[in-house]
Amino acid sequence: MTLLTILLLACITFGTRYLFLEGRLPVRLGPNLRLLLSYSGPSVLAAILAPILFVRSDQLYLSVSNPYLWGAAVAVAAAYKTGNIYWTIGAGMLVFIAAGQLI
Amino acid sequence: MNANNRALKIASLRGVMDVLPLSLAVLPWGILFGSLAVQRGFSWLEAQLFSGVIFGGAVQIVTVELIADNSSLLTVMFTAFVISSRHLLYGLSLRERLSPKPLRWRLGLGFLLTDELFALSGHRRAYMSKLRLYYGLAAGGSFYLAWNLWTFVGIVAGAWLPDLTDLGLDFAIAATFIALVVPGIKSLATLAAVITAAVASVFFTLWHFELGLIAAALLAMAVGYTVSKIRDSVVGGR
Repeated sequence: MTLLTILLLACITFGTRYLFLEGRLPVRLGPNLRLLLSYSGPSVLAAILAPILFVRSDQLYLSVSNPYLWGAAVAVAAAYKTGNIYWTIGAGMLVFIAAGQLI
Repeated sequence: MNANNRALKIASLRGVMDVLPLSLAVLPWGILFGSLAVQRGFSWLEAQLFSGVIFGGAVQIVTVELIADNSSLLTVMFTAFVISSRHLLYGLSLRERLSPKPLRWRLGLGFLLTDELFALSGHRRAYMSKLRLYYGLAAGGSFYLAWNLWTFVGIVAGAWLPDLTDLGLDFAIAATFIALVVPGIKSLATLAAVITAAVASVFFTLWHFELGLIAAALLAMAVGYTVSKIRDSVVGGR
């Protein structure tokens, strides 16, 4: 039973990823839709990312004692300055952990 | 021929190296998932199969909890679809480049098309050449192996680990996504889209709106689109 559930779930994740890669699907992308879709990457990533930082136990956590915000602020600065993924994660994690210890 | 093989090898290696930070950043989540599944009563084989065939992050963690709570199959499936629905956007974005490719490439890259692989697919000419296809396959494939390895570690170590769900490990994911989003903000339109997505997603989460993630993303895309059109018309009108 669990096995069947796992396989059905696999069909869902694969289905959502594959669906529009299928050429026989009658969907044509005009220039406007393409412009709209060009914002999908940053939009989805930001939408996943923001609640991790700002929401804790179903509450808005906008406070100087929120280590996620300190870590994120430094990560944003590092990403802006260096554009390097290792620097961003490294500096962000370091400040996040330090803030968690201090607060 | 030899030079051709060498180029493919180099492209593949670059794919592995480019996705490496992301493969490492999901280590806490993989371990969290493996140990969670075992703690919720799944066999190690079932736990590994989740990562092996479903191959999603949030969707695995959420559905494991739902199944353990004896939720109905319909609830489990619908929740999985809602969480996965963002991948429809990824497929749509890459449709033009990938849909003319042979079936085996579409199936392979389709299966591997996670948030992480999509984040590496932003290049103007991504997947347009054989080298770029191998780059994507190597990036996606090595990320798949890493996710399954971390799951395995979680399954094995889960018995000795305390409850990991509340250690703040999710910051690693947040930092990774910051690293992916921020350097890509090169226009006012993208900045507007990112801010809209963040604000809307936080509010939808607080309101327990189940389709919040995808709704926030669509709203943000509409804002990005509108800002870009307005700027074009302003520049064009001069």
